[in-house]
Amino acid sequence: MTFAIQVENLCKQYGDFQAVKGISFTVEQGSLFAFLGANGAGKSTTIEILCTLLKKSSGTVKINGYTLDASNDNAEIRKSIGVVFQQSLLDERLTVRENILHRGKTYGLSKAQLAENYQFISTYLHLDDIEKRKYGTLSGGQKRRADIARALIHRPKILFLDEPTTGLDPQTRQFVWQAVKQLQLETNMTVFLTTHYMEEAAVAHQVIVLKEGEIVAEGTPDALKTKYAYDSMALVFHNTSEGLQWLEENAISYTEKLGIFSIRVESTLHALALLKNAEPLIASFEVIKGTMDDVFLHIMAEGGVA
Amino acid sequence: MEVLSSLVQRNSKVFRRDKTQVFFSLLSVLIVLVLYAVFLQKMQVDAIEQMTEATPELVTMVNEWLVAGLLSMIAVSTTLAAYGVAVKDLESKAQADFLTAPISRATIQFSYVINALIIGCIFSFIALIGCEIFIVATGGELLSFKNFVNVVGILFLSVLLASIFNLFLVIFVNTQNSFSTLSTIVGTAIGFLCGVYVPVGALPTFAQNLIMYFPISHTTLLLRNAFMESSISKVFEGAPASQIDEYKKVYGIVYDLHGNILSTSTSIMIIFVSILVLAILSIIIFKKKNK
Repeated sequence: MTFAIQVENLCKQYGDFQAVKGISFTVEQGSLFAFLGANGAGKSTTIEILCTLLKKSSGTVKINGYTLDASNDNAEIRKSIGVVFQQSLLDERLTVRENILHRGKTYGLSKAQLAENYQFISTYLHLDDIEKRKYGTLSGGQKRRADIARALIHRPKILFLDEPTTGLDPQTRQFVWQAVKQLQLETNMTVFLTTHYMEEAAVAHQVIVLKEGEIVAEGTPDALKTKYAYDSMALVFHNTSEGLQWLEENAISYTEKLGIFSIRVESTLHALALLKNAEPLIASFEVIKGTMDDVFLHIMAEGGVA
Repeated sequence: MEVLSSLVQRNSKVFRRDKTQVFFSLLSVLIVLVLYAVFLQKMQVDAIEQMTEATPELVTMVNEWLVAGLLSMIAVSTTLAAYGVAVKDLESKAQADFLTAPISRATIQFSYVINALIIGCIFSFIALIGCEIFIVATGGELLSFKNFVNVVGILFLSVLLASIFNLFLVIFVNTQNSFSTLSTIVGTAIGFLCGVYVPVGALPTFAQNLIMYFPISHTTLLLRNAFMESSISKVFEGAPASQIDEYKKVYGIVYDLHGNILSTSTSIMIIFVSILVLAILSIIIFKKKNK
């Protein structure tokens, strides 16, 4: 098994404030890796360190076999990574094609190589309809396509995406997402992304949840779901006091909000058994499947255990 | 090398396609033109008529005086505006995007300097042609070949000086807001510091010294000498040498610093030394800033 990224005990300190507190993880080559966390958890700091934009305070980082901050290795790292930032950073008054080619030249590619790469990227991201338009006149989703194309113009081995879909409409989000997944699958590229959308993390091979600069949970989405998400049932009783009595008799823990009682259930079938039992008392009910959102919320609430 | 030239091309495109930016870089120059058309020209002609006979050459001479000042102002205002790209990149984090490629901050910064040089040269050359048309249209003569070559040389020198001078200023600027404030200050100050709004001789000694120590004003001085050579000799034909000297001192065609008349080679020296010193200081500050 080869690792695209190996991070050991990475720390970043700003004066007295520790933004990243000694995190360690590995990212397998060709995998889709998601970095989750609330705002200010240290996601962007970590990604900026990995992209050589920010100096780490301590720890060792290896990217594509090159050691970060070792002599000359940073240039090699930069050649092998592509970065899509949160903001749109291309030039508004240049066309998409001009933007991508100008930035592509900074990698020292030959003209022929650049043209070939452009052609390749263009078919993936459907640049044909926007390549002659000024970047500034594009919609949010079209801009994102151009941003991703720019990050891929030198055919990097790792693609970093820092909250790539924040602020996009659902349809565009889906398009961006599919393009990234397809590229990752077909070119065996490693994709490292940060997000705070749980459903996006759900398709990753590996997820790490960061809280206040520390890893609080990690694993595959399924494993995390099993551990942190559970199905629940919301109940409304005809008579609240009778309902309460029933809950207490059966020793079911609950939370109550505006007359709606939420209880945790092992599975939907378990819910059925409970419902049969309580049928005469219930006015209405709803069974809610556990989602990645629950994983995130529960980890954040509990503090989690790695 | 190819990387650098691609960066420069990009900077240049970003600047040139921002038409408002281009327009505002020429604003201070346009203001001078308007002031001149409204009253500055007449004031000068009236004042010189007190010294010597009024001839058609007199107006040409005054026009040439103005043109020299304008050209040195254009070098400063356009190169400064060209650095707007650098400030924008810094504030928008576009520089971070460039830095994910295997290029150094120094290369990026250098590409802004080259871009300023090129923009300055292009605008200065266009302005020079415009000025020549203006002078011929108002009854003057074209520059002699020798003086034309001189003017082109001086223009290049003044663009180089202005690029480095502005680089030094822009290094301290991190936001577009402060950059536009800087542009306003430089645009206004440069007209005074080159003795274009008001002739040097009309200012108090303190201000005169300030102008003479200000390196960019020496490009104005050199340009005036090249442009006005033949018209001065025509206007002051037969006039006593002391009168010509007096005129040249008052209108900043020679500098009399603490009783010494500065020679042309002194001015050129001042320009070169300033370029060197400002370049070294810029590099030191740049390195400190990006440690």
